Amino acid sequence: MKFWKKIYIFSILVFVIIFNAASIMVIERSHNRMLEQEIDSALSQYMSIHSSVNAIVPIVRIYDSIDYEKTVLTRIANEFVRTNKEQRVYLDIRDETNQAVFSNIDFQMPEQRKELDKLGADQINYMLRDIDERTILFTSNMVDVSQTSYLFTYMVDVSSVYQDRVDQYKFFVKVDVAACFLYMLIMFFVSRGLTRSIERLGRTAQVIAQGNFSERVQLQSKDEIGVLADNFNNMAAVVEDKINELERINQEKQRFINNFTHELKTPLTSIIAYASFMRTTKYDEEMFLDGLNVIYSEGKRLEMLSLKLMNLIVLQEDDFELELHDLGAVIAEIKPALDMLAKEKQIAIVTECGPGELRLEKDLMKVLIFNLVDNAIKASDKQQTITLQIVWQDGQCVLAVMDQGIGIAKEHQDKIFEPFYMVDKSRTRSGKGAGLGLAICKNVAKVHNANIRVTSNENHGTKVEVVFAPTFPKGGMQE
Amino acid sequence: MNKKILIVEDDVHISKIIKMNLNIVNYDTTEVYDGLAALELLQREKFDLILLDVMIPKLDGFALMERIRPYCIPVIFLTAKNSVYDKVDGLRLGADDYMVKPFEAIELLARIETVLRRYGKEERMLGFQSLLIDLDKREVTKQGEVVELTPKEYDLLVVLLKNKNIALSREQFIDKVWGDDYYGETRTVDMHIKSLRKKLDLQDHIKTIYKLGYRLED
Repeated sequence: MKFWKKIYIFSILVFVIIFNAASIMVIERSHNRMLEQEIDSALSQYMSIHSSVNAIVPIVRIYDSIDYEKTVLTRIANEFVRTNKEQRVYLDIRDETNQAVFSNIDFQMPEQRKELDKLGADQINYMLRDIDERTILFTSNMVDVSQTSYLFTYMVDVSSVYQDRVDQYKFFVKVDVAACFLYMLIMFFVSRGLTRSIERLGRTAQVIAQGNFSERVQLQSKDEIGVLADNFNNMAAVVEDKINELERINQEKQRFINNFTHELKTPLTSIIAYASFMRTTKYDEEMFLDGLNVIYSEGKRLEMLSLKLMNLIVLQEDDFELELHDLGAVIAEIKPALDMLAKEKQIAIVTECGPGELRLEKDLMKVLIFNLVDNAIKASDKQQTITLQIVWQDGQCVLAVMDQGIGIAKEHQDKIFEPFYMVDKSRTRSGKGAGLGLAICKNVAKVHNANIRVTSNENHGTKVEVVFAPTFPKGGMQE
Repeated sequence: MNKKILIVEDDVHISKIIKMNLNIVNYDTTEVYDGLAALELLQREKFDLILLDVMIPKLDGFALMERIRPYCIPVIFLTAKNSVYDKVDGLRLGADDYMVKPFEAIELLARIETVLRRYGKEERMLGFQSLLIDLDKREVTKQGEVVELTPKEYDLLVVLLKNKNIALSREQFIDKVWGDDYYGETRTVDMHIKSLRKKLDLQDHIKTIYKLGYRLED
């Protein structure tokens, strides 16, 4: 059952029970009041008869005659009945032998009259009885006149009180139906309104479950549901971020695999095609040597690729012992190799190294510098200059490699650290590379707790900075 | 007249080896190394078929494909990627076939031939020395005289001619002439080669290649 229906039905049930119970109590109470009043007035009426009878008792005693007594009583009774004609009152007077002295009842007097059983002298008993379709109040009392005692029964028809109650109930049923109907109508909207926000939350959750992670709940209320919606939105935002992150990583991986396949397959295609050609066609010395050269160089390229990949994989393990070294000395150590590399393009490599020690893994640092310089050479034109610089600022060491080459366009700058990413897509390259250099550099930097910053202007050159985390005076590295 | 094939491939080595393979079976080839050069060339020259690498600089294979559709030249894609997604993409763009690197030369030749046949550009007459083969009639004439060949001998001769100057292994012959479902001995190939040599006087031209198979040489 839906929540709003639960609220709806439950509240209606409670309302109906309480409303009805309360109304019934009120009606019953007012009925009892009226009945009591009726009884009181009957008693006082009776008392007036009683007092008139008492008034004549001394006179009757003087005459001392039964017949006279009865005549007097009958007269009093008649007088009483006459004055109360419009009211439905009855009077019944009997002597000790149960002979009616006076009676104006228009119904059968019941045989059994319980109220008479314990009737003492000077005691007034009353009782309500249903006779035919009427309810009649019987008030009884024994009166001693001189000779005998008489049983006075004064009766009042109180049906109207009961009729009143019935009318009240009839009216109440009408009111009840109307009130219930009104209540149902109001509660319908109230419960719907209260639960609508929950429903909306549910719908949004469904939409999100279907993969639309950017969906949010729009709720303005400040109540618990509003808080829930806020929390829900926060949760959805976190999930969305996580999923985007995973998607990005996944795409990166996919790109890695695609690129890797490409890098692997291109040399393989050459090797297989040349080998196959040489195997299946007539021997021709020139072609044969050409083919062997291609096979050799492409084989070398595969070797280089596997080495770089190994580097990259090893770097992921992140388990290196860093020792204090002078970074300038490390650069000086590999300077000859860099010069060799630069010689082909007649590029000059200038080093400006400030002294200072850093915790380094020397071989990895060489790989990093070598890769950065190699990139700079590839980007440079003949006879340009590449500058290697070490600057210390506030205990922070910055290694910069600057060239005057072609630069890197804005759209490439954030992707160049991705494995296999190459700005120059053309694979006719002369300076062969797999696009792994900067990916390796980034990982080396990570091992050294350093960041790599790239600033580049197209056609004006590139500046790659390796920023090492600040060191303490003793050379310890801040973790 | 020889068929002209445009090779659009950025890797110089691969481009060159494709060219060599095609030249050896008498296709004329032109090499370009990027998409824009290809587009430019296509505006000036007519080609019978294009071998197109997908990952080429300046204008990639798929983009180039869109641009050259009006020329109605059959295209075979060459690529290192072999995901289904890329295949579907390439074929939807109107490529006629798709070759995933690395590929075998004879496989490439077979695909080229199939595509050319589909476009009705296949040569219906094959010639070799004094031999003339009419592919429609399945008839071989030597110096104007009809030579009677069994169907398998004929098929074998056609395979040899189409892969002229390229050695094929006995298994490759079986595959191309007898089909995949042949499980006989490779000696059958030797028998048929022997009778071809005899009937057509090709002793000097069908060479036995040590450890490999046979090759038809000019």
